[in-house]
Amino acid sequence: MGSMLGDWPSFDPHNFSQLRPSDPSNPSKLMPATYHPTHNRTVPPPNQVISTEAKNILLRQLYQRAEEKLRPKRAASENLTPEHKVKQPRGSFPEETSN
Amino acid sequence: MSVWNYAVTAHKPTNVTHSCVGNFTSPQELNLIIAKCTRIEIHLLTPQGLQVLTLQPMLDVPLYGRIATLELFRPHGEVQDFLFISTERYKFCVLQWDAEASELITRAMGDVSDRIGRPTDNGQIGIIDPDCRLIGLHLYDGLFKVIPFDNKGQLKEAFNVRLEELQVLDIKFLYGCSKPTIVVLYQDNKDARHVKTYEVALKDKDFVEGPWSQNNLDNGAGLLIPVPMPLGGVIIIGEETIVYCSASAFKAIPTRPSITRAYGRVDADGSRYLLSDHAGFLHLLVITHERERVTGLKIELLGETSIASTLSYLDNAFVYVGSSYGDSQLVKLNLQPDSKGSYVEALERYVNLGPIVDFCVVDLERQGQGQVVTCSGAYKDGSLRIVRNGIGINEQASVELQGIKGMWSLRSSTDDPYDTFLVVSFISETRILAMNPDDELEETEIEGFYSQAQTLFCHDAVHNQLVQVTENSVRLVSSTSRQLLHEWPAPSGFSVNVATANATQVLLATGGGHLVYLEIGDGILTQVKHAQLEYEISCLDINAIGENRNHSQLAAVGMWTDISVRIFSLPGLDLVTKENLGGEIIPRSVLLCSFEGVSYLLCALGDGHLFNFLLNMNTGGLMDRKKVSLGTQPITLRTFSSKSTTHVFAASDRPTVIYSSNKKLLYSNVNLKEVSHMCPFNSAAFPDSLAIAKEGELTIGTIDDIQKLHIRSIPLGEHARRICHQEQTRTFAICSVKYSHTSSEESEMHFVRLLDDQTFEFISMYALDTYEYGCSILSCSFADDCNVYYCVGTAYVIPDENEPSKGRILVFVVEDGKLQLIAEKEIKGAVYSLNSFNGKLLAAINQKIQLYKWMLRDDGSRELQFESGHHGHILALFVQTRGDFIVVGDLMKSISLLIYKHEEGAIEERARDYNANWMSAVEILDDDIYLGAENNFNLFTVRKNSEGTTDEERGRLEVVGEFHLGEFVNRFQHGSLVMRLPDSDVGQIPTVIFGTVNGVIGVIASLPHDQYVFLEKLQSNLVKVIKGVGGLSHEQWRSFNNEKRTADAKSFLDGDLIESFLDLSRGRMEEISKSIGVSVEELCKRVEELTRLH
Repeated sequence: MGSMLGDWPSFDPHNFSQLRPSDPSNPSKLMPATYHPTHNRTVPPPNQVISTEAKNILLRQLYQRAEEKLRPKRAASENLTPEHKVKQPRGSFPEETSN
Repeated sequence: MSVWNYAVTAHKPTNVTHSCVGNFTSPQELNLIIAKCTRIEIHLLTPQGLQVLTLQPMLDVPLYGRIATLELFRPHGEVQDFLFISTERYKFCVLQWDAEASELITRAMGDVSDRIGRPTDNGQIGIIDPDCRLIGLHLYDGLFKVIPFDNKGQLKEAFNVRLEELQVLDIKFLYGCSKPTIVVLYQDNKDARHVKTYEVALKDKDFVEGPWSQNNLDNGAGLLIPVPMPLGGVIIIGEETIVYCSASAFKAIPTRPSITRAYGRVDADGSRYLLSDHAGFLHLLVITHERERVTGLKIELLGETSIASTLSYLDNAFVYVGSSYGDSQLVKLNLQPDSKGSYVEALERYVNLGPIVDFCVVDLERQGQGQVVTCSGAYKDGSLRIVRNGIGINEQASVELQGIKGMWSLRSSTDDPYDTFLVVSFISETRILAMNPDDELEETEIEGFYSQAQTLFCHDAVHNQLVQVTENSVRLVSSTSRQLLHEWPAPSGFSVNVATANATQVLLATGGGHLVYLEIGDGILTQVKHAQLEYEISCLDINAIGENRNHSQLAAVGMWTDISVRIFSLPGLDLVTKENLGGEIIPRSVLLCSFEGVSYLLCALGDGHLFNFLLNMNTGGLMDRKKVSLGTQPITLRTFSSKSTTHVFAASDRPTVIYSSNKKLLYSNVNLKEVSHMCPFNSAAFPDSLAIAKEGELTIGTIDDIQKLHIRSIPLGEHARRICHQEQTRTFAICSVKYSHTSSEESEMHFVRLLDDQTFEFISMYALDTYEYGCSILSCSFADDCNVYYCVGTAYVIPDENEPSKGRILVFVVEDGKLQLIAEKEIKGAVYSLNSFNGKLLAAINQKIQLYKWMLRDDGSRELQFESGHHGHILALFVQTRGDFIVVGDLMKSISLLIYKHEEGAIEERARDYNANWMSAVEILDDDIYLGAENNFNLFTVRKNSEGTTDEERGRLEVVGEFHLGEFVNRFQHGSLVMRLPDSDVGQIPTVIFGTVNGVIGVIASLPHDQYVFLEKLQSNLVKVIKGVGGLSHEQWRSFNNEKRTADAKSFLDGDLIESFLDLSRGRMEEISKSIGVSVEELCKRVEELTRLH
């Protein structure tokens, strides 16, 4: 047990070093100030207002498949190399690890 | 009450739902971020412990949404963390702390709702890829939403991916994967649980089968903990086993049966975790490993805490335990166990009132001041909380003394830390009281004082001297020999009207507008300056608040006739500033004071109004004039100290303590009816006390901590579900449930308990049957019977039944402090509500409303006899009555109005609201307006349409008000948290108090229409000035919203927003003042008045 409990991580050894424990039966009274922003930066940059793409999942897949069918007909040689690279790590997983 | 309502929070949410730790405010600083449903709190870790962010005025951040998920993350290239928040209404934002400006800025935000989709049953999931490639959201069954990051850390358009698993329990990202990979814990249609992994192919916008999966886990598996590299993989927490799973390893250990609610990672390498279960036991889970190979798991019990909803390891063995069911805690993990074998030491406790399942409003001290007693907390952390507004005075001693005109305390030597004498002045004499050796107050003498006249002012002076001012003279007296040292006589023909002094100076005014300034030397009074003013002087002050605590550079003077307050410089008595107060009421008391390093001039008028100004100590200039109404009678201002902080006591018909928090002046009621004078009296026997003159009585008392709401906790060790007060027997009765965990099984027992209303001790108990729940409780009396009874409605909750088919109504009488069962009636269903109704008992039982008579039997005993009833509800859960009207809140059919017809002895439906609202509470505001709360966190009001021309119209309750409160209301009660003064404006405003799951106590106040219109204008202007954190919209937040529809808020005002006007800078206030054409002073006064509703 001792070994499990020791050696607690420390970001700054000073943190909590001067904590004076208050009576646990007497709750702590932190009086935080309430934040009310009046500045203009509560609005994100215009390109960071995110929405979900409107395209339906089924349509998206149909389009993707259609594109894939078209692709090899064009520049087959250009596309082959990068696809290989992408596929390699997947193939590198041994069969038995996938349970 | 009325249609025009004002909803405001009196006690903010305290239920801690999420927490996280990171470097949010600076790369060098560690922060704890806590979510309390609709608010986040940002704490800074310091050597002294958890601290609010000092210097910058910021910590408690209200959000326009209910927080669904909260995560800190570090985008590529950033040196500190960003905060990702998503809300239950499908908004999200990414916040960054700008340390220079001390502001939260929005990096990104958006709407992640889908038009079609079934919201997940197990809550929303929001997770961020450890390598910051995407944010993943699971909001609707069968869909996983991806918000990708680009390589600059900017968010891109979101897209949905079909997720085959429909019953998802948890999703996490795995560490150390070349492609972002999620692990999904799910339940199949045979209720078996499995995990599966998927890679997120960002380019194809689809999932690819992941590297591994694991079938047939613990049936109670509910929580995933991803393990960082180098170990990787995931821990799956079940109810009886804990499993470690990765592509290359599978390790499992059995555990004591428990439901793990929260976890917190301890080490950055992921080798240790804290786990907290449903009973509040804190465990340490350790992954044992050799190099990077996991060899096993170990789990150890550390000790007990509050039942945690969230755990955050902070630093140096300190842990934050956030709780929804009890108080949150700061605990330390010790290396050695204490005497009880616990490694956990609780160091701080943070109050949580949630969940408030029931409450009652009582006046325990019989002072006309309402207090709320809540059923708070759950399971072992259940408690009663007594919540009281205002500052209490705890009486230590009192004597009858009529006609007190003034009071001052004096020390027997300049260095004495304690006061010895209490000078009490009457119309034609002055008496001196002092503590005798037996710590009793007795009359004594200060020989050098003149006791045959009213004392106008007294003060301790330098060189062991005392100074007394009467209408004829100023006397300087030795505090040791008590002999007169020197006397300054008033000029012949003039008498002193008002006077003030500090340790080295005296300022007085005689008739004819003469202002005289004296200085106090060693044994001598010297007249330094005289000034002739054009009008009579009504009040003055030279409280030394500058660097020299014995000497003031400025004097404040209030004037008759031109109704002004003036600042003079000392010693020259040169006029520096003149401020006309306006109106016809003369200033009665002025005070120079300093709070949190800010200097103020306070000026109180004869009609209970108070002005405050910022005072420039160098120039004597007055700025930022504000006005509040404290009472209706003249106010006397005095400073006093409590816990080494200076506050101001405003004695009047509504005594008030003025104090400062975060550099803002706050006004808190004192729980006394009328105080004519107050002076601090810090004697050895009664340290830090106040002497208070009221209604023919002199009281010495200590003062509560200076804060607005006071909360007293009565831990019960069991879960109180219903509460009711009985005035006649001075008792409370509660329905409670006690859970007990033994190693093999868990059991629950249900009780009706009787508590003393002063000590809150259990004095009697009635055990309910097995499976019998107490559902409702009522204190009432019946027609033709003068006794008061407690009636308890119960339900037998049999595990196999969908709805209870059996229950009881129990009638108890309190005799000799014991609960005596007088009558019981078996009922076919659960008694959800009981009301006293026309001398009879009205019960809501499953689909029915039933009325029972209290019948005398031949043998003299009593029984409940069914009289009439009404069918046609899904479940009649909440009932309120008024006269012959009955308002029913239904499980899913909103509100209906029934009427009792005496002649026929029948109950009939008069009208209903045809909306499908799932109700959580109802209340009758007035004859025609009814208030409801429903399970999508909305409030609404409906109106009876008696003037309708057709039956159809009359049979329809018209929805007149709608508002998204963002809180789940469990109970409404008529009443008020503050003392009601019949002659004040605020005293005329009727209020309803509500209690919520998050521990919020709030107030709904019905306003006169003109005030509503005025405040609505203010609110619409405030929305333009106070921005929503994260870019969230106030209008959307407050719009009524359920599964079917969303509609703009109407006939409700957001009091929290309106009252935040007082937190604005002067410039912003002026901006608003200009756009609505009302002075800042008037706005402050009107808003300040509203804050005194709660």
